[in-house]
Amino acid sequence: MGVAKLKKAELYYHKSVHEEIAAALQETGVCQIIGDAEGGPASVEALRAESEAAVADVRYLMRTLTPHFNDPISSLDRTLGERPIVSMSDLSKLARETDLSSICTKVRGLEHAIGEGKLELSQARTNQALLESFRFLPYPLSAITEGTRTLTGVAGVVKADQLKTLQAALSEFSKDSELVLEPHDEKAQDIHLVLFLTRQRASEILEACVRKGLSVLDVPAEFKGTVEEERAKLATSIAALEDREASLLKDMENEAETWMPSVQKLSDYWNSLTERYTALGKSGETDRTLLTRFWVPAKDAETVQKKIEAISPNVAFFLSDPGADEEPPALLQNGKYVRPFNILTELYSPPKYRGIDPTPLLAPFFFLFFGMCLGDAGYAIVMLAAIWWLFRKYRRVPLGIRDFIVLFAFSAVSTFVYGIISGSFFGNFIDSFLPFLVPVKNALMLVDPMTNPMQVLGISLLLGVIHLMFGLLIAAYDNFRNGQAIDAIGANISWFLLIVGLCLMGVAMGGMVPPHFQCIVQAMAIIGAVIIFWYAGREKSGIFSKIISGFLALYGSTSYLGDILSYSRLLALGFGSAVIGMIINLLGGMAAAIPYVGWVVAVVVIVGGHLFSILINILGAFVHPLRLQYVEFFGKFYTGGGEPFTPLTLSEEFVSVKP
Amino acid sequence: MEFLGLSLALFGAALAAALSGIGSAIGIGIAGGSAAGVMTEDPNKFGSCLILQALPGTQGIYGLLITFFVLNKLGLLGGAGAVALTWNQGLQIFASCMPIAIVGWISAIYQGKTSAASIMMISKKPEAMGKAIILPAMVETYAVLALLTSILMLMGVQVG
Repeated sequence: MGVAKLKKAELYYHKSVHEEIAAALQETGVCQIIGDAEGGPASVEALRAESEAAVADVRYLMRTLTPHFNDPISSLDRTLGERPIVSMSDLSKLARETDLSSICTKVRGLEHAIGEGKLELSQARTNQALLESFRFLPYPLSAITEGTRTLTGVAGVVKADQLKTLQAALSEFSKDSELVLEPHDEKAQDIHLVLFLTRQRASEILEACVRKGLSVLDVPAEFKGTVEEERAKLATSIAALEDREASLLKDMENEAETWMPSVQKLSDYWNSLTERYTALGKSGETDRTLLTRFWVPAKDAETVQKKIEAISPNVAFFLSDPGADEEPPALLQNGKYVRPFNILTELYSPPKYRGIDPTPLLAPFFFLFFGMCLGDAGYAIVMLAAIWWLFRKYRRVPLGIRDFIVLFAFSAVSTFVYGIISGSFFGNFIDSFLPFLVPVKNALMLVDPMTNPMQVLGISLLLGVIHLMFGLLIAAYDNFRNGQAIDAIGANISWFLLIVGLCLMGVAMGGMVPPHFQCIVQAMAIIGAVIIFWYAGREKSGIFSKIISGFLALYGSTSYLGDILSYSRLLALGFGSAVIGMIINLLGGMAAAIPYVGWVVAVVVIVGGHLFSILINILGAFVHPLRLQYVEFFGKFYTGGGEPFTPLTLSEEFVSVKP
Repeated sequence: MEFLGLSLALFGAALAAALSGIGSAIGIGIAGGSAAGVMTEDPNKFGSCLILQALPGTQGIYGLLITFFVLNKLGLLGGAGAVALTWNQGLQIFASCMPIAIVGWISAIYQGKTSAASIMMISKKPEAMGKAIILPAMVETYAVLALLTSILMLMGVQVG
């Protein structure tokens, strides 16, 4: 339970076996190497450079080939553990047989050719559009691209409203210019034209025209024949380019199909190796030996030691407890019922090595709160069925994901229970469609948020008080444990007395308890307040500042009021999912009244609606109880701030490595 | 003036759905812009971006919930026929709708902005998803409280 005890291991070994040792440490997956990678042994440096180069090649191939690859294993399947199982020796054999750099060269060539083809094709399409605009021209295009001895042609375009001014400008040069216009109607916006000019005044006239709004279009020099001839030629060459592009893409797909399965495996292999050599690079060295230091969980230390000593007799393995000045990483170790909740602590921040692991403390509350927020037996059944199906279909779900799913399975159980006792089954499905079950439902109901929400509000706030007070007691324990008894009493116990006293006074005012009890709780509240007053002012000098800080501290009780009221969300969210369910059933019932197709519409509305409601309410029922843990509960005693335990492991993104 | 009460109540119900819906639409829109930006760089973040984008959507649902609550209370659902309301009762129902209408509207916009910032955060630090979800949820607290206020007020109003 809690943060796992770690041992610090020092491992001395001969350089000749450094590969085997590093591989063994990596395969155990429980060793976090200590040290920084700067200035590691030169022999390791070379190995690391080699594997990093391979990783770069693999990354390039993955990036380029993935869009062309139709992966037979979907990424969801992969995440849920459907990966080929291979051994490291298979992988290293594959790595030796696969010449990554020659594949890269080939793929780069293809990529380059495809890129160039795309460029040519887009050029050709631009030309095609240009020719399309000049179909009105009766002369061969050589009149523009070459001209004659005395004449030269210019292709251009002008805005319709500037055509008049352009024509007026040209009329001054009527002897030296001839304008051929695209046939157009009033709606035309751009009018294409070809201007024939005498060579001696061409530049002068052209300049005048450009000032009047003419945009000159560049006609590529290879166009010599008539527009129709050139269009036909261009169409043929575009078809050829498209064919070539298609065949290049096909080649690329073939390459992807041939190499991607290996590249994926090699991605894991080379990434593992890079990790391994980076870790090895953190070692210290003498001429012949290396020294690797690492953290290892105390319970695994012996296994690791045996494994290492089996490799070579020339090793020395020393274990020691972490020194008082060292801050080891934190590995959460909890029993199988609490372990799924580890992720909630890890999402916040892992505890310090010598701190408290809040996971077992928050687990029952999260379990309960999730149930109250979703609070529907029908939704719980859907969740459990989905999870059951998932575990049936996927037999090799990786541990972290498995825990996360199990967390939802637990939450579904509490949702089911709360759904039963609050009488919610797909909202008010029973009342709406299964009236014969109403007596059963009513018999099992303990609370009724729909007609008596104040009751559930009271329960929610009471749970809030319990949660917060529990947090304070943990803080007090933590302070006592660290020898800070004064802080424990002044900052934790005092508030506990005040809040619990005040709450019980509220209960006592209801007259449900005998009067001497009232005295006790009043005394509790007063003692609590006095301690808070004293604690806040104890380090201040002067009676005035003591009194002011005392009152300021007592004013802090408003934050407890806010904290407690925050738990009203348990009612609101549970109520929300029940009412959304009710609305869906109501709409379904209304749809059923449509003649002939009504029942189809009703089924669609009810099934689709409840699925939507489940998804949106699970999100709410996850986020809000989590917030109650992080903000209200952790606020009392937990700050996290530890380093997560990150052991050296094999990369298993695409394959599962067989030991 | 016979239907003034009913009209006031319906006006409140309409505002509850409309204003909180507008707020959610704006909030989701803001978050969606960031999500699209992040996904151009890394399409694999679709899942986490979608969750963060959906967070400001709950206000619209809370508003809808109150609207149905009112319609149900007025007997306008299920063909039972509308109950008679005095203008006073109508005004009470109108007032009950205001917390979720106003808080839902404005909190969804701010939640959208926080979600957008959280989306930016996970683009740089995908491992911080837990923290990224909690920050927008802090804003939503006030919409939840407003929903609760509206529900309790509506339950208190006597009609029929």
